[in-house]
Order: sequence, then structure tokens, then C-alpha cells
Amino acid sequence: MQKALVVENLQKSYGRLAALKGISFKVKAGEIFALIGPNGAGKTTALRIIATLLTPGGGDCYIYGLNLRREGGKIRRFISYLPEEAGAYKNLTGHGYLWFMAGFFTPDRKERKEFVATASQICGLKERLHDKIGSYSKGMTRRLLLARAVMTRPKLAILDEPTSGLDVINALEIRDQIRELTGSGRAVLLSSHNMLEIEYLSDRVAIIDKGIIHETGTPEELKEKYRARNLEEVFAEAVK
Amino acid sequence: MRNFFVLFQKELRELLTLQILIPMLMVALVFSFVGRIIGTETKKIGAVQEITILDLDDTRTSRTVTGFLEENKFRVALYKDRTVEAVLEETGKSQSRGVIVIPAGFEENIGGYSSQEIQAYHVIQDFSIVGSMGAGEVNTALNAIRDYLSDYYLAARVPGVDLSVLKNPLVVKDYVRIGESTAAISPHEVIGFVQSQTMLLPVVLFIVMIYAGQMLVASVAAEKENKTLETLLSVPVSRRVLVFAKMAAAGLVALLMAVVYMVGFRYYMQGIMGGPLPDTTGVTTGTALQELGLVLTLPEYLLLGLTIFLSILCILVLALIAGAFAEDQKSAQGLMAPLIFLVMLPYFLVLFLDINNISPVFKYLIYAVPFSHPFMAAPNLFLQRHEIVFSGIIYQMVFFLVFVSLAARIFSSDRILTMKLRWKRKR
Repeated sequence: MQKALVVENLQKSYGRLAALKGISFKVKAGEIFALIGPNGAGKTTALRIIATLLTPGGGDCYIYGLNLRREGGKIRRFISYLPEEAGAYKNLTGHGYLWFMAGFFTPDRKERKEFVATASQICGLKERLHDKIGSYSKGMTRRLLLARAVMTRPKLAILDEPTSGLDVINALEIRDQIRELTGSGRAVLLSSHNMLEIEYLSDRVAIIDKGIIHETGTPEELKEKYRARNLEEVFAEAVK
Repeated sequence: MRNFFVLFQKELRELLTLQILIPMLMVALVFSFVGRIIGTETKKIGAVQEITILDLDDTRTSRTVTGFLEENKFRVALYKDRTVEAVLEETGKSQSRGVIVIPAGFEENIGGYSSQEIQAYHVIQDFSIVGSMGAGEVNTALNAIRDYLSDYYLAARVPGVDLSVLKNPLVVKDYVRIGESTAAISPHEVIGFVQSQTMLLPVVLFIVMIYAGQMLVASVAAEKENKTLETLLSVPVSRRVLVFAKMAAAGLVALLMAVVYMVGFRYYMQGIMGGPLPDTTGVTTGTALQELGLVLTLPEYLLLGLTIFLSILCILVLALIAGAFAEDQKSAQGLMAPLIFLVMLPYFLVLFLDINNISPVFKYLIYAVPFSHPFMAAPNLFLQRHEIVFSGIIYQMVFFLVFVSLAARIFSSDRILTMKLRWKRKR
């Protein structure tokens, strides 16, 4: 199967602080791959590098065969990034925001409309989509942002803590939508420190702490290896 | 280009909110309203000059003086057989700004060609500019009386002579020389014209530059604070396009603001000056001003426009860089403070000084500030110092290109997400 993402010995430092100390992993097309780890483990840094926001300090990264350092502009056309705690423009309506973001991905008005229609369906905001984003709840904004992230049918969706701060109902809806994403061969790279969510969503998992990947495998493989009942126990053992 | 317009439209929507538009219109309306009130009050003061006369002489001569004032558009409140205190008390309740006391024996002294002491009481009711305009009424009345009496003396002592020649034997024809041009016009007219032409622009430019800078720095800071910047940076749009779209939108809104303020401020100035601002349409004055090169030509207007445009670009690019350092909108305001100072410095200096004539160190320091050049451009163009204006424009262009490259580099690198100023002291 085609590799959606290849990360080789990726390193990143902020001054003296080494956020990533050479991590490597691969994500196949059609796969949901999760980075799990505590706060400050290096998850967001890794995702930001893969989303072309930060330049790698060392190592290499390939997305569908394109080198991240040299071809960031091309890569941005088929990836999508949902940052943790991302916001949207409060003075725009939900529909206006989707229309604005869709404009970067296609010059064709008809296709732009299709993107917005897809997103409208995914977010389920119905008539509230024509209200200003400033009036939305956190859950509504997160659903809008997730819809924005997937409306262009990205080949690789990078989702940082996609259900962070959401109530149970909203979190469940978003998890379902993430699951549906990979149906047509698209890859998802996500990060979370919610182990239950990861266990439910992911095909494979990497446990990261202090900038190092300690383990990689399917949730079942990892549970078996560590003789654990769930990923939380795996994690506790792996980073000991 | 498509991405530019997508971003540009979004930026305009973000900037042209009611919170921005209403204060903008309010400022213009307040300017216009204040100008109107000042104009009305100034006209009131100019229309009727009230003066109180306490005539303790009550003779034919003293009555003639009072009658003369009335003929010369003074509204005279006349008192006889009262004490000065009583009259001053009455005056305090009226619109009159002063009391002239004609003493007993006035006619006798005047008839004997002796100088006559007159008491003049100036009633000051407020210290405002409009109020101070009224404080001169007593002196105007006294000058009128002086003129009348001196005419009376001269007519009696030197009969058959033209009194105007006798009182004013010199007829002065003023010439003004600027650079290598000379024209028959008074220096007051020239200075008044130049000031009227250069008064409006710096004020509006000052407001617009500060407002445009603040809008942009707040826009970048808001992207960071509201966590929209990361999403924006991850979409397929060039960072240069992002930089230019933000600058263009803030520049356009600033331009709109300039027009609105200009209209408001023009009404304000008209109110203060009691009518339309002076121009060059008067035949004699206009010709003289043209001879002196004080009427700007089309290329000179273009130079002026170019230096203004470049200064707005310079403040925008600096604001963009300042915004990149900001963590939130609150810290953005702090980062804007040095820029405001850099705009204020040349603005106030140019109001009082000719920068070209100050000591070289200060002069070049002021020249180094790119916002100085539009403030100096109009006076320099009037004085035919084109080379200074050209040098300023070239300097502004270089400054803009250097800093726009820097801004593009910042936005194209990690720094836009990781850079912030550290205010805390290192321990």
C-alpha cells in the first residue's frame, strides 16, 4: 500500500529545548495513525512540522513522496491541518468562513460550492451556519473547523486533539466523522492524550514522550506486548 | 492573484466592521460639529461688538464719540451718573466685554488739545480661543475713538490736507522672494496660504498612519490570539500573498478613513476660519502665488501622493512585523507604541521647525524616520526643494523593500509562530 507519510529521524529544537529528538514512523494511505503522549511530549511540534508550519531541525519527511523541506507549497494542496484549540474568524458567518477557506483549494466556483456543501453536511450546523461564528459554542466551532479540515477531501488530514474540550455528544460525532474520512483511502494523522479515544479510532499508534517515540503498533499489539488492559496502561509502562 | 483576492476580501470583512465604521464616522461628524459650533460662535462675536460707555462728562464731544461708535457697528450700552462699580456689575450680566469710562472734563481737555486719560475695563469671562477673540473689543473701540479724535485734531490744526496721507505717509508695496522667484504679494498672504494648504494634510496623515498601523498590528495579533493563524498558514497560499493581502486591506481601510477624516476636518477648519479655506482663485493673489511657485503642479502633486503612499506602506510593514511579535491584541498595542512615537516625532517637529535648518545630527535622525518625509514634502515642494523630496521618496522605497522582505521572511519561517518579545527581566 502507498505510503501517505514517511517521517525519518525528525528533530526540532526551540533554543536549548529539544522538542523532537529524532522520531521516525510511517503512515499508510487509508490508515488512522495516532501520536499519543502527555503534554509537552512533542506531538504538536511533530504535527506542525508535517503540516508545513515549522521547518524540521533535522531529519526528513515525505508526504505522498514529496519532500517537506522542498515542496511545502505543493504538499499544502492535498493536506489539511486542524490545530488544537483552533479558532475561526468571529465576524464571519460559518458559511462565509467555509466559503473563504474553500477559495484556497479551487479556482472553480462550482467545486467551491461543493466543498462548502460537503462541509455544511458534515458539521450539521444547518441554519446556524448563517450566523456569525462569534455566537457559536465551542462544540459548534470545533465541528465547523473539522468540517473545514475535511471538506476538500485531503489525502492526509492532520488533526491535533480533535475532540479537546468537547462534551461527550460532540466528541462522539467528531470521532464518527474522522472514521468516515479514511473510507476512501485517505490517511489521518492525529494526536491526543485521550487514550480511550485513540483506542477507538486508530489503526496504529505511536507512544511519544520527551521527543522520543517509545513504541509503535496497533492498539491490540501494544496491549498484548505490555499485557495491559488498555492503552493507558500501555502508555504508563512504555514511558516508565 | 486569486488567493490574494480571497484573503483581501476576508481582511476587508474583518476590518470593516461596525465597531470600526461607527467610530470612524463619529470622529468625522464630531470634527464637523465642533467646527460648526466654533464657526457660529465666532460669527456671533464678529457680527455685533458690544461696548459699555460710562459717560461722566455728558457733553457734546462725549456724545459725539458715543454716536461715532454706534455708527461704526458697535452696540453701545450708555450709562451716566453711575459709579464704575455699578456699571461693571451691570456689564457682567450682559454680553459686553468692556467698559470705557469717559471722565468729567473730557470735552475741555480735547478742546485744549491736551492728552486725555481714559479708563478701559476689560471684562474677561472665559479663557477659550473664541472667548479671547471678544477680549479685543475694547481695544477696537479705543482705536476707533483715537482715529476719530486724531482726525478731529488734524482737521482743526492742518486744514485742507488729505488726512489719510498725513496719518499714513508711506504706501508700502510688498514683494516676496522665494528661491529665485519674486512676486508682488504680502508675506502674510503667502504664509497664510501655505499654512492653509499644509495644515490639513499632516493632521489627517498623522491620524491615518497611526490608525492603519494599529489596525494591522491588531489584525495579526488577533490571528494569533484567536488561533486562526496556524490554519491560515497551513492552506495553499504563499506567505508573501498573505503579507500583501493584509497590508492592502489595512491600507485601503486607512485610505477610506483618510477621506472621511479629510471631509470632517475640512468642515472643522471652515468652521474655525469662518468660511471656505483660502485658495488660489483670486486673480491677483493667484498670479503672485503662481509666480512664486506656490501652486503645486501635477507632477508635484504626484510626488506628494507618492511620499504619502510610501509612508503608509512603511508604517504598515512595520506594524506587520510588530504584529508578528505580539502574542495577543493587548501586547500588540504595546508594540505599536514605538511606532506611534516615530510618527509623532516628525509630525510635531515639522509643525514648529524647518527640519532642513536644524543641526545635522538631528536632521539626519529625522530623515531616517520614513514617516518624516510626507510631513516635510509639501513645504519642500513649495520652496522648490525637489531634490530633498526625491531623496526622501527613494529612501522610503528602499526602507519599504528591506522591511517587506523581512516581513515575508518572518511569515515564511517558524518565527511567525514562535517569535515573541520577552518583557520579563532575566534573573
